[in-house]
Amino acid sequence: MIKSMRRHWLSIALISPSLILLGVFVYGFIGLNINISLTDEVGLNNNDANFIGFENYIKLLDDPRFHIDIFNTIVFSLTFIGVTLALGLGLAILIDSKIPAEGFFRSVYLLPMAVSFIVTGVVWRWLMNPATGERTSGLNLLFDVMGLDFLINQWHLTPTWGMLGIAVPAIWQMSGYTMALFLAGLRGIPEEVKEAARMDGATEFGIYRRVIMPMLKPVALSAVVILAHISLKVFDLIIAIAGKQIALDVPAIYMWQTTFDAYNFARGATLATYILISVALFVIPYLIVTNRKEKV
Amino acid sequence: MASVKFDKSTRMYPGGTKPAVDQLELEIADGEFLVLVGPSGCGKSTSLRMLAGLEEVNDGAIYIGDRDVTDVAPKDRDIAMVFQNYALYPHMTVAENMGFALKIAGVPKEERAERVLEAARLLDLEDYLSRKPKALSGGQRQRVAMGRAIVRKPQVFLMDEPLSNLDAKLRVQTRTQIASLQKRLGVTTVYVTHDQVEAMTMGDRVAVLKDGLLQQVASPRELYDRPANVFVAGFIGSPAMNLMQLPIVEGGVQFGDVVLPVGKDVLDKASGPKVTVGIRPEKFEVSEHGLPATIDLVEELGSDGFLYGRSQIEGADVNLIIRTDPHDHPMAGDQIHLRSTAEEVHIFDTESGERLN
Amino acid sequence: MHLEKNKTLKALAIAATIPFVLTACASGSTDTSSDSDSSSGGSDSSSSDTAQIEVFSWWTGGGEEAGLNALVEVFNSEYPDIEFENGAVAGGAGTNARAVLATRLEANDPPASFQGHAGLELLDYIQAGQIEDLSFLYEEMGWSDVMPQELLDLITVDGGIYSVPVNIHRANVMWGNPEILDEYNLDMPATWDEFFETAEVLQADGIIPLSLGEQWTQLHLFETVLLGELGTDAYNGLWDGSTSWDSAEMTSALETFNRIYDYTNSDAASLAWQDASQLVISGDAAFNIMGDWAEGYFRVDNELVEQEGYTWAPSPGTAGTFQFLSDSFTLPVGAPDRDSTIAWLKVAGSAAGQDAFNVQKGSIPARSDADQSIYPPYLQEAMDDWASNAGAPSLTHGTAASNGWKAEIETSLGLFLGTRDVAALQDGLVAAAAAQ
Repeated sequence: MIKSMRRHWLSIALISPSLILLGVFVYGFIGLNINISLTDEVGLNNNDANFIGFENYIKLLDDPRFHIDIFNTIVFSLTFIGVTLALGLGLAILIDSKIPAEGFFRSVYLLPMAVSFIVTGVVWRWLMNPATGERTSGLNLLFDVMGLDFLINQWHLTPTWGMLGIAVPAIWQMSGYTMALFLAGLRGIPEEVKEAARMDGATEFGIYRRVIMPMLKPVALSAVVILAHISLKVFDLIIAIAGKQIALDVPAIYMWQTTFDAYNFARGATLATYILISVALFVIPYLIVTNRKEKV
Repeated sequence: MASVKFDKSTRMYPGGTKPAVDQLELEIADGEFLVLVGPSGCGKSTSLRMLAGLEEVNDGAIYIGDRDVTDVAPKDRDIAMVFQNYALYPHMTVAENMGFALKIAGVPKEERAERVLEAARLLDLEDYLSRKPKALSGGQRQRVAMGRAIVRKPQVFLMDEPLSNLDAKLRVQTRTQIASLQKRLGVTTVYVTHDQVEAMTMGDRVAVLKDGLLQQVASPRELYDRPANVFVAGFIGSPAMNLMQLPIVEGGVQFGDVVLPVGKDVLDKASGPKVTVGIRPEKFEVSEHGLPATIDLVEELGSDGFLYGRSQIEGADVNLIIRTDPHDHPMAGDQIHLRSTAEEVHIFDTESGERLN
Repeated sequence: MHLEKNKTLKALAIAATIPFVLTACASGSTDTSSDSDSSSGGSDSSSSDTAQIEVFSWWTGGGEEAGLNALVEVFNSEYPDIEFENGAVAGGAGTNARAVLATRLEANDPPASFQGHAGLELLDYIQAGQIEDLSFLYEEMGWSDVMPQELLDLITVDGGIYSVPVNIHRANVMWGNPEILDEYNLDMPATWDEFFETAEVLQADGIIPLSLGEQWTQLHLFETVLLGELGTDAYNGLWDGSTSWDSAEMTSALETFNRIYDYTNSDAASLAWQDASQLVISGDAAFNIMGDWAEGYFRVDNELVEQEGYTWAPSPGTAGTFQFLSDSFTLPVGAPDRDSTIAWLKVAGSAAGQDAFNVQKGSIPARSDADQSIYPPYLQEAMDDWASNAGAPSLTHGTAASNGWKAEIETSLGLFLGTRDVAALQDGLVAAAAAQ
């Protein structure tokens, strides 16, 4: 009894530093941020902030820039998550099908992960150069040389759908990582289960559709959560490719600009809270599902 | 339902120097329960997987009925397989697992449900149909794997060590269940195991493999009574047959201070001055004369007693096991003599291991 | 309800966003800082008995850095006992530096002095009581007599002067390619109507009439168009409320602005201002509008000769007006060593310091008693204009409006770039002005 009590206290003592750090630097700041978002704090002179409730939240919903942000985020997220998942899964299946030099291909696809979004952005800024005529360069030039002129496009400067262009480098960067996730999932499926399906009369495609894919669901779910939080918070990639431009604005950039360029701390905090909520919408159901699974 | 025929079927793994299965010739009759048995690495599982279509056949052919299925895809062979670790689909319920093949085959939903229920009843799984595999015990999972095969009503059942993941007691129970189920359904079955007891108790016939080569295929009784070579003799039977190398003398072989009479026609076939003599533990007789032995240990099992002893043959210690009356037997440390009758001994060529008598 | 604010906590909260700041910094090529980032960061030099000042700026490359170094050289020779520490943060025309600065000011850890655009950009710091009134220094050094009244008026807030301007840049300059002008027998357009006529001809021949860069360079264009179309008085009135943003004149100016986009490069959003200037140099474009820091880019970075490789004129409709911005240094409240900071400011405001700085930086001194002869021809001309022209503050570069107002205008402009909806742009501008 005493022994177990002592052990109990020891474990609390061992985890308390990280608990305290998390409490202060994550949850404390989330609270602080929400607190600021409920005031009218603007400017560096912050001693006269008044509590105004959810006014900032309501105002943002009417803000045309925020509308663009939401639209851009949805376009980016759907494209980025969808294509990255598909590509990652495709690559994983290819690599899993016992191709020669598998390790080489795996590294090649995984390598972009090692690069920061900033570096990716700078390179793709050039690759996706939308200039036309004699100044054509990057991928457009490649398309031109290869005679694939119909592929030449404005990339991220395409009106309305510019975020699709931003999604391209993000997909390039993250599909290798998604491949690694799926590959681990595929490797975790016992060979016998596939053989059983084969014996049960399934075609190779049928095996993927009815057996492998359903078994990859937990991996896919993790991948979606990981990709979703990246896409909802995307900032550096856009800054590196396009700078701060409203056409390619997302909540994180708006948050940055309104906080540090305009010192509108209240609005910045409100945007931060909205971003937090949007990420939580993905993460919390995921945590609930995984917790429930672990209990079974 | 159909017969199965391996016609010089050979499997060579890429990069291997020796075939995993070497020119296997084996015919299995319609409705027969054939057990493939042998130590690990003998090629029994490979043979089964060749029949399943999961393993390529490099040479020779395989027939199911009259049909050459050597190059037919597994899904088109009309066979069902039970895997060692059951290979259940973890994301499907028991009913879905069992009905999966029917679903793919396009069997209407109602018929499917009916057949699944029928199989479930047979296997006592009715209460678990809506559970996922992870919520089942090992024995239940095993039965689901069986059910998945039964539901399909295939030409041939293939079973790859289906009992090896069960505990000993359950294994004995399930063993008889499977055997009787097979009799009831009458489906040709090829069953792989490394356990000779399973092989002997379940199979109509048993095929013993070693190093990719078929050693003998026969009924359990025949295997026990007339093993074709030293390997089969040693492998089949528990406790194992006593094997000793004895010199050939006038009128037979030297057996301690007596001569065990063996026909000249038999001994003439021997390639050397000695033969390998095999005697089952229950065929020894404690006597005044014969092979001298020292008892090291006595095991009383109630219905049987076993003596574990040692004998000096040509200057080397040979371990012997003797079955005895459980209530009346020599004690550890006793010096005894052993005898046997000529009809009860198995004579093998020492060099080739082939049976001589 | 009054909220008790814990300043330290809030500073920590802002500090938590520093990773954001740093990633943003890494995209060095976005703004006026040149591509060759050679940021030295603020190295923590060990303590010694010499005094130390850390001066915070966003001058990390090209002429900017050279100018700062020249100024430091003057400072070192006058105050050999004070060690200068360069606290420059690269990127974003100072937006990144300002984010770092805001954090340090909130944490009561101000640098000895920091760079800021003279004018309303400093208003936030003044209102927050974070920088000191320097009137005493102006009196002591007699700067009020050597700096133009126009400039002093602009940096005076409630009777106080809060920074020491070191230079003046001109925003309303149109740069041109002389070869194209020769070939088509053209002059630099004096009005936007003239530009449109010229533009039709050039565009038909595949020449980009006006090269544009990313969004902030378009805000820069926007302010020069407003100045040109509304006239100097009306433009200046926009910032003190005496000119309405709602007027028909404003509508017409915005329509002109909108029309200009028909004659610009389609990839503007992916170009830094240098790239846009490069289009003029290469002859792909005929004109570009950019502040006169571009002059250094033409002359020094690209080794071009004026009037052969590049030419210039006031942007259309703005002849006789000098739309300006000014870099200045401040004295933060609670500066670590106030006397040393004052020493730095004295050098920054001195004729020797300003000449050393500006020749390198490619701007003209804020003082009107500088030695004209040491400056290149463009700057000599600019000095004459500065002395004789009417003045107008720059919006993009922090002189005309507070940071908050500027941000709202930039947002309206950004939204317009997607929609090209003039009415919505005007509504946004009116709303932004009303909120001030």
